Amino acid sequence: MIKIWITLLLLTIFAFVLGYLKLINFTLVAVLLVSTFIKGHLVIEYFMGLKDVTWKYRIIPSLWLFIVLSLIAIAYYKASLLK
Amino acid sequence: MIQTKRALPRGDFAIWIIVYVELITFGILFVGYAFARSGDVALFNESQLLLDQRFGFANTLLLITSSFFVVKAIQSLQLKEHKKASKLASRWLIGAMTLGGFFIIDKIIEFAGKVEEGINLSTNTFFMFYIILTVFHFMHVLLGLVILFNIQQKAKKGGYTADDISGAETGAIYWHLVDLLWIVLFPLIYIIR
Repeated sequence: MIKIWITLLLLTIFAFVLGYLKLINFTLVAVLLVSTFIKGHLVIEYFMGLKDVTWKYRIIPSLWLFIVLSLIAIAYYKASLLK
Repeated sequence: MIQTKRALPRGDFAIWIIVYVELITFGILFVGYAFARSGDVALFNESQLLLDQRFGFANTLLLITSSFFVVKAIQSLQLKEHKKASKLASRWLIGAMTLGGFFIIDKIIEFAGKVEEGINLSTNTFFMFYIILTVFHFMHVLLGLVILFNIQQKAKKGGYTADDISGAETGAIYWHLVDLLWIVLFPLIYIIR
């Protein structure tokens, strides 16, 4: 479990450094959204313990995370086209 | 060895109904923010520069670590030696609540700064979303701390046994939900532009 915690911390540091150094562009937005999905998925699977549960309950929060992050990606892509 | 999957998730099933409702509610707000931004990218980018990302970063580290401590507390409660299990779990929960307390202090400092700058719900669309999302989440952290405190008190008194930790697991699930929501909120509001 400690590996999961360290991974979560490292991904958070990665996101902060990108933002703090103002390195964000559309490609990096996609990278950040994927890293956010990984973080959320780790919390769902390991902290909430859904990795030990049958798929019908296991999939609901991860599916939510995937849909929300995908819609955010679409909104940012739409905004980048309007620039 | 084949490990069979549990039919139902940990904790009381009612907490999962609450989790699903919270995910839908916050999900609508997250997506609403992203699409509102696409209507006025310049305003959102300029307003976002007024946020101090260090607050968001510190709060993410605090919540992730606090959530990890709660996992350790639940694992401790499953130890066979009842007295040791209760003592360990209580300590992990005190650690988790302390970090949650730091989150609250950090957020109050951040909010106070924004109030001093004259920022409120009607400043612009970005700050409307910022205030709604972060204050709504803040209230969830407060409730989560109350729940953790109750679990800690019961654990301290030896109220959980290795065979009966469903109540503690239920509270833990709520705290992980608070963490999960912040994990999406942090990059969305503070980082991505």
